[in-house]
Amino acid sequence: MAAETLRRELRDHRRALIAWCVGIAAYVTLIAAIFPSIHGSVQFDRLLEHYPEALKALFGLQGGSITTGAGYLDVELFSLMLPLLVIVLAIGAGARTFAGEEDAGRLELPLAYPVARARVVVWKAVGVAIQVLAAAVAALIAIAVLDPIVGLDLSKGNLLQAIVALTVVGILFGWIALAVGAAVPSRALAVGVPAAIGATGYLVGGLHSLAVWLDPFRFVSPFWLVGTGPLRNGVDPVGVVVVAAIAVCVLLAGAWRVERRDLQTP
Amino acid sequence: MPDVAAIETFGLEKTYPGNVQALQSLDLEVRPGEVFGYLGPNGAGKSTTIRLLLGLIRPTGGRSSIFGIDTQRDGVRARRRTGYLPGDLRLTDRLTGREQLASLARLRGGVDDELRDALCARLDVVLDRPIRQLSRGNRQKLGLVQAFMHRPDVVVLDEPSSGLDPLLQNEFRLLLRETASAGASVFLSSHSLDEVQHVADRIGIIRTGRLVDVDSVEKLRERALRHVTVTLRDPLADDLFAGIDGVRVESRDEHVVRLTAPEGAMDAVVKRAASHPLLDFVSQPADLEEIFLELYRENEDGR
Repeated sequence: MAAETLRRELRDHRRALIAWCVGIAAYVTLIAAIFPSIHGSVQFDRLLEHYPEALKALFGLQGGSITTGAGYLDVELFSLMLPLLVIVLAIGAGARTFAGEEDAGRLELPLAYPVARARVVVWKAVGVAIQVLAAAVAALIAIAVLDPIVGLDLSKGNLLQAIVALTVVGILFGWIALAVGAAVPSRALAVGVPAAIGATGYLVGGLHSLAVWLDPFRFVSPFWLVGTGPLRNGVDPVGVVVVAAIAVCVLLAGAWRVERRDLQTP
Repeated sequence: MPDVAAIETFGLEKTYPGNVQALQSLDLEVRPGEVFGYLGPNGAGKSTTIRLLLGLIRPTGGRSSIFGIDTQRDGVRARRRTGYLPGDLRLTDRLTGREQLASLARLRGGVDDELRDALCARLDVVLDRPIRQLSRGNRQKLGLVQAFMHRPDVVVLDEPSSGLDPLLQNEFRLLLRETASAGASVFLSSHSLDEVQHVADRIGIIRTGRLVDVDSVEKLRERALRHVTVTLRDPLADDLFAGIDGVRVESRDEHVVRLTAPEGAMDAVVKRAASHPLLDFVSQPADLEEIFLELYRENEDGR
């Protein structure tokens, strides 16, 4: 049955996934370990006041202090690094699982089996989502464990929301990569399109408050949609639902398109 | 109950982007319980036909069916009764043969483990080493097992014998004949008449996207010319092979005679050659191009 696709996706890449999770947890640990030295440092806050507006906007330094646990992690982890890591993992997995496999000629045999292509794409999407979730949970566990140790004093509810938003955004990009690869036989596009959207979305989301002409485009940025500074402010639940809905629509579009095109064979 | 064709195409056409017409209005029929050889030179459209049947690519005209089930509109149902071995088999290298077959069995559903194991034993399949360590022939064997393990009613094989050693090729031929005797059909493509003639019932010849001829093996064999090179010990002036029906002498010097002869003339050729002391006698099967050219010309002449 087509569900075998999911099993293959997870089992064939479990070592890479474990490596990602360990890497993310290690990075979180490193960042958290520095926290005690800047905790409550007034000089640090004063230093940051003089940073250029654009930089502050990009890293979410505008609202609140960087020397509280929530402020610090918002800037050091949730403004760029964690989304970046999770999105790279997601795009890698999403592009590999269809476009990559097709490129390697490994889809010819399974798709000649009595399984619908669209179903295969959906099961692959589930696999990508599970991998993204695993990475996000690794970050969650690392932060939660380190919270009492380094004195981050985080709101548990906000942390959970931040991880949910991270997961949803990761899944969005992973499914864009998968859907593009399903719609057209191009691994390059499967990587390039979500990467371009991600980069643009990040810049628009970070800088829209500074550039009037960018402001209308903020709706296009998944990062803006879920909200910045999640540990301090929580996330926008409507934004999260919108991002999730976009991810589903993108996936369905890819699944619809894949049935209609020729498969690339070796 | 009328016999539904195992495979049937109706004006099947495929034009690739860039106006490359790979297949022109193909009308083909494979009967139940038949081994059908699909012959053609490289680039003739064999793999295109096969990929259309398996729903891997979409036709630009016409349609095809397997046991009456439209392969485009109802592809999943059609593929349930079909086994397939691609021309360029790619497996998941990291897995062992055993794991790969188990995975494919789960993907398909309803596979008889006993049959799978029996096929593995029969073809001497290497099961417990990672596929990336296996030779092409051993990978091909895995491909054969997965094509037959679910007892399909139609088996589609794209150039299956390449990579198999002669012993295996024999076992493979027996497997095909048994499959046909049990009522299933086999559709196998090849560019070698030799590979196919011992196992097929009928042969279809495709050339530049057109089905040029469909005939039983005996008839085709009769038309296929052998290239014979006879090396005589003593120089000979007269035309040794004059007068044998169908024989054409290509070149002749004192010791070496090169000629082409149909199968039916071989007896006379050998006996004539044997009437003189020989140093060497070489007979090569006909170049497929020649048969195609022969058939193509015949077609155009309307003969």
